[in-house]
Amino acid sequence: MLLLQPENLLIQKTFTKAFASDYEPVSLDRIITDYDFTAYHISTPKEKTAILLSLNIKCWDDLVQHGTLDLLESIYSKYSTFLSILSGDNAEPGYNYSLYVDLSKVSLKTAEEKSALISELSLLKRNCFAAPFLKTFARYEVLAKEQPADPNNIYGEEARKSSKEPVITLHYRDNESIFIKPSNDRVTVIFSTIFSDETDKVFSKVFLQEFSDARRRSIQKAPQVINSHHEIPLEIQSVEKENKDKKKTYITFVLFPRHLSTEEVKWNTITQIELFRSYFHYHIKIVKCYLHQRMRFRVQSFTKILNRARRDVSDEELRAERKTASGRRFEALS
Amino acid sequence: MSQSLKPYLTAVRHSLNVALCLQDFPSQVVERHNYPEIESKKTAEVLLNPMKISRNEKEYVLIEPSINSVRVSIKIKQSDEIENILVDKFTRFLTKRADNFFILRRVPVDGYDISFLVTNYHNESMLKNKLVDFVIEFMEDVDKEISEMKLFLNARARYVAEVYLNTFD
Repeated sequence: MLLLQPENLLIQKTFTKAFASDYEPVSLDRIITDYDFTAYHISTPKEKTAILLSLNIKCWDDLVQHGTLDLLESIYSKYSTFLSILSGDNAEPGYNYSLYVDLSKVSLKTAEEKSALISELSLLKRNCFAAPFLKTFARYEVLAKEQPADPNNIYGEEARKSSKEPVITLHYRDNESIFIKPSNDRVTVIFSTIFSDETDKVFSKVFLQEFSDARRRSIQKAPQVINSHHEIPLEIQSVEKENKDKKKTYITFVLFPRHLSTEEVKWNTITQIELFRSYFHYHIKIVKCYLHQRMRFRVQSFTKILNRARRDVSDEELRAERKTASGRRFEALS
Repeated sequence: MSQSLKPYLTAVRHSLNVALCLQDFPSQVVERHNYPEIESKKTAEVLLNPMKISRNEKEYVLIEPSINSVRVSIKIKQSDEIENILVDKFTRFLTKRADNFFILRRVPVDGYDISFLVTNYHNESMLKNKLVDFVIEFMEDVDKEISEMKLFLNARARYVAEVYLNTFD
């Protein structure tokens, strides 16, 4: 599995089962975790036929500011006959957002409709994070209309005016954030990330170098990736004041108009870019794991070489050596 | 094998052959004790001159002979940060498994990456020429392994980056 899946597999499984025609209602109480300190709670608080799906996201407040509630409303309200949205104070205590699905009233006929709903439910986290991105993309479209991009200046300096655009900040982990900034010819997404392990840090340099080089080498369609290990990128110097102990690494993705052209492309971009941090860290861990395996194998082969050096003198041979002229053996005194 | 590696390994091989002339030697300081003299260094007259063989300023071997033990310390080539980490991980991996390696020293001598300690007991239970072979083969393989791991890391990073960026089409 090279790419991470944006949906949550456990939620998907639970609801696939629940919507199946031969489902026998059972009482559920499951806590499911996802990337970036996201937690889900699936439970059946009242009847067995009504499932409550709650979600807790670390940067929920940041997301709400940028219209997550409206976006979720627009996605889930079409199922309002059997799915009620509980947000704010109505949500399950300890969680930010809840969806209450009454299985007895589910009115979906075809399998496609059901699988569409299941995938929407399992993509709840992505949908939450999508709002600030969509907001920025919309702002980019406005800016692009006001001041069309100069075709001769695609890779050049940003236009003066758009550099004053506010930067959206999502504090999605303890000390790590996502910054999103619109402009008239591009959208810039910046990740700040911290490596707790020194080895990871060095490996990350190799990885980031390849991320930046990949575009130049072969993949022209990809967003431009710029990495800076300690310096705060210009775009976010207004919000990110200092890089304490030079611990943070900044990774900048420059999304070009081609990544924001149609609705489908936009969603794909959002899905992928959200997973970047997890993907990046995950692969560093995998490489370490592989190297470990490799060393284990190598150590074994060294042991073999060393064992070749040992004189093989078994008890049997020792005994065989100690014979008298007539062929009698010495018996060991024990 | 590169031009300079062969003479280097040959020099190490001959020096090791010379150094591995070991005999049992009970301690002269403490009665009924039998230390590897090169480690205790309490009896100056049984210590021989240490030999340092360098391939270049980053790769060298120190052979310290004595009457009943020889200490071989190897400095592995490290040209950048990544090789540094890989060598460190690899030697740590080995020293943690020193039990299986009989002649491996748990802690390398200062300034070196890995050390072997061959005593007269090892020499009795193992064939001398095979022991020398092991050290030489080890030196060859470690270099190879480190550079392979480094190449793998780069290749993997490139592949991972390409797969991710390809999803943006």
